[in-house]
Parts: sequence; structure tokens; C-alpha cells
Amino acid sequence: MKMTESQDIEQATTAIAAQPDNKTRRYDRQLRLWAASGQAALESSRVLVLSASATSTSILKNLVLPGIGHFTLVDSTLVSPADAGNNFFLNGRDSIGKSRAQEAVPLLRELNESVQGEAVVSDVKELLSSDSGREWITGFSLVIAHNLAKPVVDDLAALLWDDLANPPLIVVNSAGFLAEFFISISRALWYAASPHTDAIPTLRITRPFPALLQWARDLDLENMDPTTHAHIPFVIILVRAVDLWRREHNGALPTTMAEKRAFKESVLAMKIKPDEENFDEAEQQAWRVWSEPAVPSEISALFSLPELQQPSTSSDTNALPNPTFHALLRTLSAYVRLQRVYREQAAAEKTLFKELLAQVYPELAQKIDPDEVDTFVKNSHHVRVLRGRPWRAWDKERDVVVSSLSATPRESATHLALSALSTLLAQSSDISEITVDSLKKEVQSFVGPDVELPEEVDTAIGELARAPTADLPNMAAFLGGMVAQEAIKMITQQYVPVCGYCVLDLVDSWTGIVG
Amino acid sequence: MTNGNASSGDWEGRYFHVDQILDRPGPRTDPSFLAGEEVKDFLRNKCKILVIGAGGLGCEILANLALSGFKDIHVIDMDTIDISNLNRQFLFRQKDVGQPKAIVAAEFIMNRIPGVKVTPYYGKIQDKDDDYYMQFNLVICGLDSVEARRWINATLVNLVDPENPESLKPLIDGGTEGFKGQARVILPTVTSCYECSLDMLNKPTAFPICTIANTPRLPEHCIEWASVLEWPRVHGDQKLDTDDPEHIGWLYSIASARAKEFKIEGVSWSLTQGVVKNIIPAIASTNAIIAASCCNEAFKIATSSAAYLNNYFMLIGTDGVYSYTFEHERREDCPVCGGEALDVSIGKEWTVERLIEMLVEKQDIQIKKPSLSSGAKHIYFQAPPQLEEATRPNLEKMVSELVPDGGEITVTASSLPFSLSLRVKYV
Repeated sequence: MKMTESQDIEQATTAIAAQPDNKTRRYDRQLRLWAASGQAALESSRVLVLSASATSTSILKNLVLPGIGHFTLVDSTLVSPADAGNNFFLNGRDSIGKSRAQEAVPLLRELNESVQGEAVVSDVKELLSSDSGREWITGFSLVIAHNLAKPVVDDLAALLWDDLANPPLIVVNSAGFLAEFFISISRALWYAASPHTDAIPTLRITRPFPALLQWARDLDLENMDPTTHAHIPFVIILVRAVDLWRREHNGALPTTMAEKRAFKESVLAMKIKPDEENFDEAEQQAWRVWSEPAVPSEISALFSLPELQQPSTSSDTNALPNPTFHALLRTLSAYVRLQRVYREQAAAEKTLFKELLAQVYPELAQKIDPDEVDTFVKNSHHVRVLRGRPWRAWDKERDVVVSSLSATPRESATHLALSALSTLLAQSSDISEITVDSLKKEVQSFVGPDVELPEEVDTAIGELARAPTADLPNMAAFLGGMVAQEAIKMITQQYVPVCGYCVLDLVDSWTGIVG
Repeated sequence: MTNGNASSGDWEGRYFHVDQILDRPGPRTDPSFLAGEEVKDFLRNKCKILVIGAGGLGCEILANLALSGFKDIHVIDMDTIDISNLNRQFLFRQKDVGQPKAIVAAEFIMNRIPGVKVTPYYGKIQDKDDDYYMQFNLVICGLDSVEARRWINATLVNLVDPENPESLKPLIDGGTEGFKGQARVILPTVTSCYECSLDMLNKPTAFPICTIANTPRLPEHCIEWASVLEWPRVHGDQKLDTDDPEHIGWLYSIASARAKEFKIEGVSWSLTQGVVKNIIPAIASTNAIIAASCCNEAFKIATSSAAYLNNYFMLIGTDGVYSYTFEHERREDCPVCGGEALDVSIGKEWTVERLIEMLVEKQDIQIKKPSLSSGAKHIYFQAPPQLEEATRPNLEKMVSELVPDGGEITVTASSLPFSLSLRVKYV
């Protein structure tokens, strides 16, 4: 392509017009993770945070920066000297004696002018005691609570669990070097596990749809001109090789090492010239023939979800709808044809999916946004369903807790120790009553007197007795990041949030999951 | 209750939270921990800490250290603030765009957290000498550059004098990419160092030049075509400035035209910029986690209040929360802390040029512009120009002509403050 100077100027000026606006530039580094769709979801979210602790403001900081729509910070207390010392979103000594929520909100809002935020000087317990307060709480898209008194959290969790339309809740508890958080979602939500990646879904090489198989079978390799021969897409070569192999092996695919080697050789044997790279590529991609499951196991598990009204066999090929085809194949006319073949198949399968949806779930099909169906089909290879459990439901199954204590002692002990601390803090405001002995007694009564506690319980309890009410700056920042990551995943419905209690220990620097 | 100090800006109860940790030991605290006034005095009045980088991790690190009670903090950063920093570098505002990061960050911290002194240096870490680094008790790095990490790592390893315990400066290093990140503690000459783990880095994706030139299939191929082949052809000696929107715009239009010709979808402004600048996605939350982990280790090391990380923590937040804490082992043949020569097996017919190519690509070496010598003999030198010219003919010679079997080659590079010894075996 010859380039003249005038073309340069024209191209340069049109391109400058295409330069992203300020907002896109500001959010550039995160749009590469969750794209415009995720950003739009964030911008329409309304997050409620209960308590204006150092941990809470750290969480909010990491949600305001990427640009949630709105936040509300609820706290009825006044800034203490201790708050002024450990919370970055207060004005030091000047904030002492003023409302914690009102002091923090302006400092959080200045992080991002496009985010709205308000302080509500109220006690969460009182809010929960009135119908209007309860209704108000359910009007948000996500609720996050840090170190609330145990009865208040239990009441809040029950309220939000009560109705499928209510927002999910993230309960966060921390003391000193130990912490945990739990996501309570009453709805089952779907997520795209790895959006915006180049992870290639199945190419249907071993289960070709008719157009693909026909193309492979119609190839006249002997009489083809050399250029066309050198540009047969590797997918078609593999489909043809698999077809031939099956005919010679009673429909079976290569399984042993020797068979796999023989298969690869059969691919290379189709070459008419040694430098045909498309056949080399087919040989390199031959692993797909034996390694690529038709449907990922996480996805096949979905078909047994209790919500499904009947076992779903989506199509006779037992394959997922095809997403628009991967960029790998975008070249030359043969690749353009291949792309078209996959596109047409994808469109046909999307139509089939919509028909099945209308057939099996007529009411739902009426209500659902067609764009959402499109997104769902496009991401069908990455779909995960997250099923929440009620807050503390796991803890009530004593046998399960006891066996978890021996299977994952470190994580389970930390969780039990933090639960014991919450119980004791709710019983008395006298911190001196929180001791190694009182915590251990509480854990013991929780699991039953006959259960021998592993040493990990002593380790966790010792750390909590040392610092029962410490909201350490580093732990606050660490939790602030962890909880915000989960909140972003939930709001954008991209990537997969954690299930169970996520437990953190910043002495030995580990995280783990129980429940 | 006193604070263990009487410096200005403090108020009664300021350190209520942190003091719960400093007033008594926990079950995993080393017996050498001196709970109470002495440790508080060290942390708040004596400890001097250096933060390298005032970007995504650096902003978080400065805030955490200041709240934890570190009062003498130094920060180095050579960058100025860009609008794309504002989604996570929370000490900067729109009005600060174009200003030096180190200076703006230091001022913000000192305004927000009274009594903390943050001393900024707007420049390169390489500007500073051993005496400068000797003054600190701890060094925390929040860098996005492998080169800078290798430099500070080697500098701190070289600083260690076995006769002087003060010369061992713990190095805490953090890094993030999207929802993933890692934090590690390096005790120079004692634990595995940054250089020991060089092979853990992801290999950058490189596209073969023939694909770029002849058979593009990905939008990235079109962008590479525009930046690698078309830019120098059209603009001659003018250097491509990846921060100049006009330059990116030119590449974008050229790549778009190429994509159209080959019916390739997906060339966008953002992808163009991402490919030529090798942009890594970055968010506030991941930086918060990793920076907090780094500062938590700094706090534990400075106070001995709890065991510290031994020695590597990695976190992946894309699918649930997965983390892995492990001890990364030292490498006996680490060119920085190992002392033993690295064995390399090469063909007898290999030219010096081929050996250089291997050194550039090998995951555990990665030296961009290596200069080679053997004993007093110059094999090939990248600089100065006269020496380069004099040694250039050697590029085509076989290594086996110049170095005997089992002989050693010393590899140096201007960007690295150490040399690498290779013991060559011919096969």
C-alpha cells in the first residue's frame, strides 16, 4: 500500500477525532477488564454501606474510584480519637466529635466527581425496627455491613434473604490480624466466568454441524490448486481427518499415545508441499480432538439445577450454542467463509435457544430482555450459577462444622473464633471480658463439649483476645480491596464471586474458604 | 495511656487500634518482641522506610504506612500523573494531571495525616547511590517495571555486608495485573531474591514478523504492522512516542485500514494503545489488597509484633478467591545472590549472535542488550560505539572458537548492576 503525504494527514486527523473521551481515558485500565457493559452496570448501581469504620471507607474507596452510581453511608456515631487515627477518610483531629458518616462522605466523593454519595446519620438497629426503614434498605443494589452487632446482622440478613428481589448482602467481620466476609445472595445469579478473554470455546471439530462436515468432506485435495490447498483452514483439515479416522476406527477417536501420533501423521500426510503452514497448524491443534470436552463440566452441572423444569437436551448435537467465532480464523477468503459458517450456525442455534426458552418457560421468555438472552448465549461457555446460602446456615449444621474443623482446621478455626467474638461482643460492652478462656468456651459450646479442638483454635483465639476491637489500617485496606473485588464481580456479573466464608489471616498471610 | 512518643500532631488515643497489637504479643509472636513503649518509639520516631513507586501500589502503600504509624517515609517516582491513573491512584485529582507523582502524593499524605513526614524524590532509583539506600530500615516496591525491580534487588543484595547486620535491608515487593497480584518478602542474601524467580514471569506475546507482514489474522497483527513496519518506513528516524495521542491515532488509522483489507475485526483505539504500550489492566481493589499485604509485612518486620511472610503470597480473584502462600526457594546459580556460574549447553557451531539471542529470550536470564567477555578477552560489547565496532566481527564467529569447553563467559548489561557468569558446555 503506497502512502502519500496527504493521506497521512487525512488519516491522522480522522484518527484524532476517534481518540477516546476523557471518561474512557480515565477508566481505560479497568475497561480492559469489564468492558463498557460492566462499566454501565457499575454506574447504575446503588450501594449501601453500614458503619463508617476504616474498613467500610476502604471498601467504598475501591468502589467510588471505578465509578459506581451512588453510595449511602449509614452511621450514627461520632468520630472518636481512635477513628481519627486509623481512618484515611476523616480529617484527622479536626473530625473528632463530628458525625463519622458526614465527615467521611465528602472525602470519598472527591475521589470521583461522577459518583453520588450521601451520609445517613442513623442507627442500623433503629432502621431495622421500622417498616419504612426496612423497605428503604431493600431498595439498594447491594448492601455491605462491617462489624455490626451480631443480632443486627442476623436481623438484616433475614430481611434481605426474605425476598428474591432484595439486594445481596456482604457481611464483613474483622479484629486485629483476622477477618472474614460472607456473601448472602438469595437469588441464583449467573456470571460469565472469564469474559473478554481469548479462551477459545469448542470448535466442534469432533461434533461438526452439517455445514462444517460438508465442507470438509467436499474438499477435493488431489485436484485443488496449490494456493487453495495451502489455505484450507486448520479446522476444516481436522474435521476431515477426524471424519476419515472415525470411518477406519468404528467411530472412535484417537485415545492412546500411539493413536494420537498416528492421527497427527495422517494430518501431515495430507500435505502436498512441505511448507504448507496450515497443515502444521492443524497438527499443532490436534490436541483439540482428544482434549476438548463438548460441554465444560461446570456447565453440564447446570442442567441438574432444581429450578429447571425438565431435563434440557438443548439440541441433538449436545453442544452449547456457538459464540461468534474466534479471531484466530479471520484471514483470507477461506477463513472468511469459515467465519461465516460458524456465524450462521451460531445464529441458527440462538434461534433454537430462544424457541426452547419460549417453549419451556413461556412466562420468562415474555419478560426477559432480548439483549440479555443474546449476552447469555454468547457467554454460554463461561456461565456459572452462584447459589447463595443464608447467613449462618452452615454454622447450624454442627456435624458439618465439626468435620470441617478437622479437614480444614486453620480456616474453620478462624471462622469459629470470629463467630465466638461476635457473640461475646454482643453480650457485653465490657471488652475485658473477652479473653482466651471466654472465647474458647464459646467455641467449645458451639461445636459441642465432646469435640476436641485443634491447636489452630488456640492460635486464632489468641490473636483475637489480643486485639478484639482493632480495625488495623492494613487489614482495613486488605479487606477493602477483597470486598470491593467481590462487589464489582456481583454488580457487573462478570468473573465469579466467592461462595462461603472467605477467611483471612494476616499473620501468616493466607486466605481460605469454609462453608 | 501514652503513645510512646510526644511528636507533634499526635493526640490521645490516636493509635488505639494499632496499639492493641503493640501492647501485647500474640500466639505466633517471636519472643524477641518488646511489647509496649520501646517498639512504638522505634516505629514512630526511629524507623525510616523507602517506598519505590508512587503509582497504583505506591499511593496505597503511603496511606497504609502513615496510618500504621511510620512517620519518616521517603518516596521515589520518575513519572508524572496521567488521566488514566485516576481510576485507582487515589491521592491524585484531575487538577494534578502532569504533575510529578512523588511530590503530589507526599503532599497529600502530609495534609491528610498530621505528623507524618514524607520526603519525595522525583527521579530515577538509579540516580541514588549505596549511601542513600543505607539510610533506610526497610524498602517497599510498588513498581510496574521488571528492569527497575532487578536493579533495586541487585543493589540491596550488593549492599549486604556480613559484618554489619544493619546493611541487610528487607525488600518487600508487590505487583498486580487485573484481579491478580502478588506480594513477597525478600531478605537479601538470606531468602530467594527477585532474580531467583525471574522465570516465573509471563513471557510477553511476540508475533512472528512473517505473520505480521504477510498473513495477519488478529487485530494485534494489524497494530504490530502499523507500529513495527509502517511507522519506521513512513516516519524514518522520528521515534514513536506511545504517549502522544497523534502517534497512537496514526497507528490506529493505519491498523484499521490494514484490518479492513484483511476483513479482520476488533482494531480499536484502546486496543492499539494497549498493544503498543503493553498496557496491563489495573484496578483500585487489587492494588489495595497487595499494597496492604506489603505494608502489613513492613509493619510486622519493623515491630516484630507477629511472624512475617515467608516469603511469597499470590492472589487470583477472577474465579472466587484463590490465594497461595509459599516459600520460594533460592537459586544456587542466581546471578545476583547465588554466586555459582550458570551452566549453559550450546551447539559447537553456535555463533556469538545466536548465543546473544538465546540470552535475550531465556526466561531465567532476560538480558536485553548483553555484552560478553571471557576473562580479559572482549567477545562482544554493545557500547561504547568504538568497542562495539571493534567486536562486531565476532558476532559471526563460533563461540567455540573464542571460549574453550567448560570456560566462563561474563555477561553484563548497562541496565543491570550485576554481571552473570555462564559456564559453557558444547554439545
